[in-house]
Amino acid sequence: MKTDELIAALAADTRPGPGVARRLARALPGAAILMALAFALFWGVRPDLAAAMTSPAALKPLVPLALAGLAGKLALTLSRPEVRGGRTAAALWVFAAVLVAGFAVALAAGGLSGLVAALATPSLLTCLTSIPALAIPFLSAALWALAAGAPRRPALAGALAGLAAGSLAAALYALFCDQDAALFVLPAYAAAILIVALTGALAGARTLAW
Amino acid sequence: MRAANRGDAAAYRELLLAITPVLRGVVRARGRALGPEGCEDVVQEVLLAIHLKRQTWREDAPLRPWLYAIARHKTADAFRARGHRIDLPIEDFTEALPAAEGPDPTQDSDMEKVLDRLEPRAADIVRGLGMRGETVAETAARLQMSEGAVRVALHRALKAIARLRERMLE
Repeated sequence: MKTDELIAALAADTRPGPGVARRLARALPGAAILMALAFALFWGVRPDLAAAMTSPAALKPLVPLALAGLAGKLALTLSRPEVRGGRTAAALWVFAAVLVAGFAVALAAGGLSGLVAALATPSLLTCLTSIPALAIPFLSAALWALAAGAPRRPALAGALAGLAAGSLAAALYALFCDQDAALFVLPAYAAAILIVALTGALAGARTLAW
Repeated sequence: MRAANRGDAAAYRELLLAITPVLRGVVRARGRALGPEGCEDVVQEVLLAIHLKRQTWREDAPLRPWLYAIARHKTADAFRARGHRIDLPIEDFTEALPAAEGPDPTQDSDMEKVLDRLEPRAADIVRGLGMRGETVAETAARLQMSEGAVRVALHRALKAIARLRERMLE
């Protein structure tokens, strides 16, 4: 088939597929319902939720929620091939730096022994498995939607989708988790979210390549 | 492109015909080792990518940067798949000289092999519209399908072609 003939066939295909945003709009409601349902069935909110949400522990769902928003926005931006991360990427780096700084402050106050003590709880394993499990529906939906895009770096786009999915799952999980020590929450949640981000990167390298 | 995304086939065809010589120029300048046939295969792969990713261009954004980004990514990808690493500055596209018109060296090309592997009806639709110059209405009448069904089948066939070409090189 000659190139001109290929062009004729391409031109006859006058229906562009749905874009990333439209696919997201299609897939996200289902993923959200699935996540909420799974959470209600297998986790459920902590009994002292109302009290916790008026304490500093309210940051546990709010910070991941903001992170999810930033990562999701950047993933969407980078699904267009000609666009660079720009301000959103910078904001994400600042966000990460603030979290690391917060962890450093908590570590300086509690010491290494404090960190070990905070993490020596069965909640650690629950956290590291629950957040990735809760993230699965959203990550699948996000990767499916992003496959309609054209990210220059598929693994990066996948990692950002994973970061958004993991953060959203962490925000939800925070309503269940009754561990409020910064020395537990920061490292455990970060590790769980990064597991999802890594999964997204590996999956994205395969499914988002074009 | 705006007209193309709203379904204006003629405008879209004109656009693709206009950018192809530029693409061909860049690919040939970079891909002497592939020979003219291999180069034309790469050009076709880039055109397919532009086509299948055209919904990622936003109407309020300038077209050229998008076009160059797609072409650059896909050209580099196609060369990599053929075992050639290339470093492709974007200026290659912005300053490209169109390739001279010549015979289209695509007999026995990748595309023929891919079409042979496609489901017969899908291959027939692509050949009919592309090589025999049929209109969608004519194809629909010939195959006793609705025009909508022909369009869906064509869209799926083009996606399958892009996928098969990737797999063939792995």
